[in-house]
Amino acid sequence: MQFAIFFFFAAVAVIFALVVVLHRNPVVGALSLVASFFALAVMYVLLEAPFLAALQVIVYAGAIMVLFLFVIMLLNLQHHPETPTRPVQQFLGYTTSAGFGIALVYYLLKYAVFEKLPEGPFQSDVRAIGITLFERYIFPFEMVSILLLAAIVGALLLSARKGLPPKHPHEVAP
Amino acid sequence: MAWDATDIALSIVKIAIVLFVMLNITPVMAWVERRGSALIQDRPGPNRVGPFGLLQAIADALKFILKEDIIPDRAHRMLYTLAPAFGLLPALTTIAVVPWGRGFRIPEMTIAGRKLFAGGRWFEPIVADVNVGILVIFALASLGVYGIVTAGWASNNKYSLFGGIRASAQMISYELSLTLAAVSVLLVAGSLKLTDVVWKQAGYFVLFDTVKIPAWNVFSPAMWLSFIVFVVSGFAETNRLPFDFAEAEAELVAGYHTEYSSMKFALFFMAEYMAMGTMSAVIATLFLGGWDIPWYHEPPTFLGFALSGLFMLLKCAFLMFVFVWVRWTIPRLKYDILMRLGWKVFLPMAIVNIVLVAAFIAGGWI
Repeated sequence: MQFAIFFFFAAVAVIFALVVVLHRNPVVGALSLVASFFALAVMYVLLEAPFLAALQVIVYAGAIMVLFLFVIMLLNLQHHPETPTRPVQQFLGYTTSAGFGIALVYYLLKYAVFEKLPEGPFQSDVRAIGITLFERYIFPFEMVSILLLAAIVGALLLSARKGLPPKHPHEVAP
Repeated sequence: MAWDATDIALSIVKIAIVLFVMLNITPVMAWVERRGSALIQDRPGPNRVGPFGLLQAIADALKFILKEDIIPDRAHRMLYTLAPAFGLLPALTTIAVVPWGRGFRIPEMTIAGRKLFAGGRWFEPIVADVNVGILVIFALASLGVYGIVTAGWASNNKYSLFGGIRASAQMISYELSLTLAAVSVLLVAGSLKLTDVVWKQAGYFVLFDTVKIPAWNVFSPAMWLSFIVFVVSGFAETNRLPFDFAEAEAELVAGYHTEYSSMKFALFFMAEYMAMGTMSAVIATLFLGGWDIPWYHEPPTFLGFALSGLFMLLKCAFLMFVFVWVRWTIPRLKYDILMRLGWKVFLPMAIVNIVLVAAFIAGGWI
């Protein structure tokens, strides 16, 4: 039963991930990514980590992808095939994704084939995650929040680049 | 946990009860909305079909089924068809993690020579008592916006698109304060399980050593702020007036479902009322003591279950009437006021409230 569920949702995750990459329409891509995230959440449930599953859906499927869709619709992206104009960036893009793919395959093989994973059950309830996050990993946690703060300041700076605040600041939104 | 046939049968019974209630919310609330608006506007309202116009809902449903189902030429056919389902699914499934009555022991009984419920069996009136219940609610509630956004985009209509864009921006803004307001409830209950949240509220606050007030979160001195934030954000989350910017018929024709007709439109209609019912059940569970009956100790028998279930239903019915009441009383806000309210008023209020509740807990006052 567990195996059937696993393979079904694994297939769903992979198929929708492929749709994200291959489909020409950005909205269909974004919605497929949501479906893929949802299938991934089922994986977490199967691993007996329902907290992570819920967070996966709330944060990625519920918040981030809504923002993505918002931006896609606001910009009303048309799919004109554009001629590649930035060879350096293109090269960097290809090499980093290739490197990331190789690293992914390496670590998957390392832990799935060559080494045994530590035996479960894993501590995955809210209390355990909270304590780990705020004791052992407090430094990276705070670094991430500083990174987000920097992003917010950057966004403010970009939107107020003219030096003057817009005359009717609230009429920007649709 | 090993499941036997009895467990599965009980589960099916629970799902059937919940589905029955959820599916009947729409016709009942459609009637309440129309008659309620008439009451508020001092006119009779639909009163021709059946006694008090009660059968109007059936006439409406019949009309929806018989209308022509139109798909616009330039619409994205697949997403246009799927969008109503996207909207309906989260609204229909969220209620699974909400407890709707006092658990009770089913006694062993013999029916037609067969022994059922050997040794008695515990019946917990909740479809899925998961230990991250409240997070499941937020997860599914946040998916509800995809129906609206997809419909708005797939219709290929400027007004629909505006409705979809507005809905997504509004949802992101208000989900934050909604979740943060619920955090204070979780701090007090010390658990993400909704059954624990209800049990925590089953006791009493004793005022001046004489007056017993039910220990519902809404009566707690630290929680009323988060109650206000939660209810207002809940209105925004379910797209009800004064926050129905996805629809906004005065500006956007009918917003995201301008192009929809027949049963596809009816599905959006159902999703709206079901989301409203779910939000009422969640508000009742988190702040109004869930199925708890004030000044009454529910026995763990069928009687206790039935009474508490009835009380849960009454609380939800009252809250849903408040939804209708507010809709016909308060006019729609301007969009910029909506965004300002979300980010500059409710978000800080929710954060202040978390600190307040944490202080209360640290001080040992609650």
